[in-house]
Amino acid sequence: MFTAQTFLGLLPEIVAFVFSMIVLMVGVFASSGSKGLVAGLAALGAVATFVVAAVLLAAGFDGSFLGNAYVVDAFALYFKLIVAFSALFAILAAVRWSGRTGDSPEYLTLILSVAVGAMLLVSMRDLFGLFVAIELATIPSYALVAFDRTRRESAEGGMKYLLTGVMASSILLYGIVLIYGASGSANLSDVAQTFTGSLSPVALLGIVLLVSGFAFKLSAAPFHFWTPDAYQGAPTSAAAFLSVAPKAATFAILLRVLLEGMPDAAPTWTAVMAFLAVLTMFVGNLFALRQRNVRRMLAYSSVAHSGYILGAFAALRGAGVDTAVQAVLIYMAAYAVMNLGAFFVIDLVGEDSKSFNGLFKSRPGVAVCMGLFMAALVGIPPLSGFWGKAWVIFAGVEAASAATYIVVGALVINSVLSVPYYFGIIRNMFFEDPVTGAEKPKGTGIVLFCVYVLAIATTLFGLFVGPLSALAERSGLL
Amino acid sequence: MITTITIFFPLLAAIAMVALPRTADSRTIRYTALGLAAVPLLLALYIYFAHRGDLGAPSLTQNLNWIEALGIGYRVGLDGLGFGMFLLSALLTLLAVVASWDVRENLKQYFAILFIAELGMLGVFAAQDLILFYIFFEITLIPMYLLVGIWGDEHRRPAAVKFFIYTFLGSTVMLAGFLALGILSGPNFSIEALTGGNLPRGAQVAIAAPILFGLLVKTPAVPLHSWLLDVYVSSPTSTNVVLSGILPKLGTYGLLKVALPLLPQGVEPYLPIIAALGVINIIYGSFVAFMQPDLKALVAYSSIATLGFILLGAASGNALGINGAVLQQVTHGLYSALLFILVGVIAARTGTRNIRELGGLAASMPWAGALLTIGALAAMGMPGLAVFVSEFMTIMGGYVAFPIAGVLAALGIVLSVMYLSYMVRRTVFGPVEKPEYEGTQDASPVEMAATVPLASLLIILFFFPGLLINVQRPAVELVLAAIGGS
Repeated sequence: MFTAQTFLGLLPEIVAFVFSMIVLMVGVFASSGSKGLVAGLAALGAVATFVVAAVLLAAGFDGSFLGNAYVVDAFALYFKLIVAFSALFAILAAVRWSGRTGDSPEYLTLILSVAVGAMLLVSMRDLFGLFVAIELATIPSYALVAFDRTRRESAEGGMKYLLTGVMASSILLYGIVLIYGASGSANLSDVAQTFTGSLSPVALLGIVLLVSGFAFKLSAAPFHFWTPDAYQGAPTSAAAFLSVAPKAATFAILLRVLLEGMPDAAPTWTAVMAFLAVLTMFVGNLFALRQRNVRRMLAYSSVAHSGYILGAFAALRGAGVDTAVQAVLIYMAAYAVMNLGAFFVIDLVGEDSKSFNGLFKSRPGVAVCMGLFMAALVGIPPLSGFWGKAWVIFAGVEAASAATYIVVGALVINSVLSVPYYFGIIRNMFFEDPVTGAEKPKGTGIVLFCVYVLAIATTLFGLFVGPLSALAERSGLL
Repeated sequence: MITTITIFFPLLAAIAMVALPRTADSRTIRYTALGLAAVPLLLALYIYFAHRGDLGAPSLTQNLNWIEALGIGYRVGLDGLGFGMFLLSALLTLLAVVASWDVRENLKQYFAILFIAELGMLGVFAAQDLILFYIFFEITLIPMYLLVGIWGDEHRRPAAVKFFIYTFLGSTVMLAGFLALGILSGPNFSIEALTGGNLPRGAQVAIAAPILFGLLVKTPAVPLHSWLLDVYVSSPTSTNVVLSGILPKLGTYGLLKVALPLLPQGVEPYLPIIAALGVINIIYGSFVAFMQPDLKALVAYSSIATLGFILLGAASGNALGINGAVLQQVTHGLYSALLFILVGVIAARTGTRNIRELGGLAASMPWAGALLTIGALAAMGMPGLAVFVSEFMTIMGGYVAFPIAGVLAALGIVLSVMYLSYMVRRTVFGPVEKPEYEGTQDASPVEMAATVPLASLLIILFFFPGLLINVQRPAVELVLAAIGGS
């Protein structure tokens, strides 16, 4: 059963878990002067996880374990890389903030725990295992959101996130149980064999509940309302991390469930996905337009981007499947670099959009980086976001159904709709004069380093699109 | 390789500008920028003199695989269709640096952003891949937004935002068309491979609609033009040079380089509409220009009118009209840059751009007045200046394809004579309107350096239009072969 191969397949998760425990233990026993040691160990853990996953991916590791319930293929490893990457940056960005609160071991352990859950999640082929992994990733994230004891919004956001999250989990579990009841198995390959032809009402209800549960986790409209409060309340590094890593993993597992578990029901769920995608794009962008708080603005922006990615799911049929899977892979990587960067800038500048006024004059470097992130989120070429959106359009055109054309149209309209709020920040930074008596620039150093690295990655993303799409070709999902 | 070097040199120039030491005074900054801006122009001139004979099919090409699965590549090369504008982009960027006297704050950043815009402009006219074309097309957008938004006049912010949203809407819609075109025909995004149009007629017609929409917003064709006035009026002079000289041509060039040859059957049903829009541009632009009290707004609407001739020529689908359109792109850039710089000079001296408050400038500013008259004569399409040649060709070509449109366009010339001669009479000649204009200084050496080359080129190209037409003709013939015209 548990062979060396299994051990190898689980190595990224094992490494991350071991490091999370080490961080916790060292934090308990080390003196208060060794905050740097704790942060260094956590960062080392993320790097080690990334390296292990990268080596497995480069070596072409492929296999399924634990009675075909756990699969490690290129697809899963790719998403583990995204999770480890964002965990690393979240840890680096959290060093100074968590050092000040004095709870850095606990905070960094929570980040690594979420990473473990998210990495397990992308490999699950068993619906109950999937549920366990989702909870493993979600429960520490409630604590992450509520971690900032100095701000009341943090507790409020954490509470709202917890309540809606628990409800989402129960809906998801209900869906899983119904699917299990209808198909007689929780394993995706068995489910696929039963879900053919016309589906029974029980199976349909199961799919609807399952998708709704996922929609909660992905903050897709109309299940998105926890997002702005949670992201506004959470410490910046946590908000940045939660908007990328668990989301990437959830998109990945949704892709796996739909493609491996119910390929024959594709006409049904692509239609649902198209509807969700269009609704989510509009809701995210229209609400983001009204925000003056940059955290809330980015929270709604992340709702909108969930909509764009769901647009690729609508194209998962016919000739569009390959490209649609590529679109999800590329979009998530593109989103990771630009969105992490945009969140980190909040730590450098402030969360009120007025605090960005005149940044170009006072701190041109930061202003240019934030400008790049905003332009990337709009989808201006050659920045990273452009490639994600372009791939969704590719997939939509290849799938060539009425639903995907509608999605493509909505994506184009929404890209333009999103200009005012992203470029509102650029306008404040470049066109306005600094507000006198504004907040002093906060934590620099390592956060600034992260922002610069991510800005460069956002700008040069186009160079890596070719290899990324080639990777998607052999992702093993198709 | 030389193409790539020319396109990306401005990026180095932008980095160099930012890297200048904090202590550098404005004189050093300006001369450094001038030197850096000269390099792409010299490279483009070298290409002109060394390779002007073989610019039919794209030459000096470079092909690198980028995203193999989708047939996207880094494909650049120069052909006669785009080379005139390639050269003009380098020239006008240099002149924009010269004409940047009204930019006083944050000079380094100004030039850096200007150079990024130049990178996009040079790239568009050299791109031989649809995705690359789109990327360069969009790279110009943010720099222009910043140039206007940071260094423009007091109304700059809404103007910049309107400009950005409007043209971004156009280009995003166009992108959807590009992606559909590339995906459905392969996937392949090489402009050369797609030339001639392999798709069924219905698909071509459907794809042509978003592409034409995007290009016509950029041009702008008249019902889609409302972004233009505010941004032209609010820009600093040197941004105007690029904004009016090059940016509209991204739209018309896309029409000639992408829409016509890649979707010949798809564009066909829209050609009468494009010709009609061209005529509307000419007539509407002229009438509205007549009513402008602001000198800059007048020049902006005159520019809209002159762009109509390009649309008409492109829509004609014959050799005369398309050659005229390609040439008009360059001549329009020359004269509109000339007029915008002179408007800037006059406004700086007199403190106003209101035509009614000006008058009798010839007395104190003979050189500036003479140059303004040359620019206005060029805008009217008078013989003796190169705009005459290109407008005449587009009208003749347009007349062959759409006789009524041709006649109306010729009528437009009469209208332009009316408002431009009014403008010249009110500003340059007549009695001196206000006593304080008596002692105004004539154009300074720097201002002469920015304007005399443009005026000279307009005259030279009238007598020797072959300098450009011979370069572009082989490429135009390839377009005609693709659309099955004569």
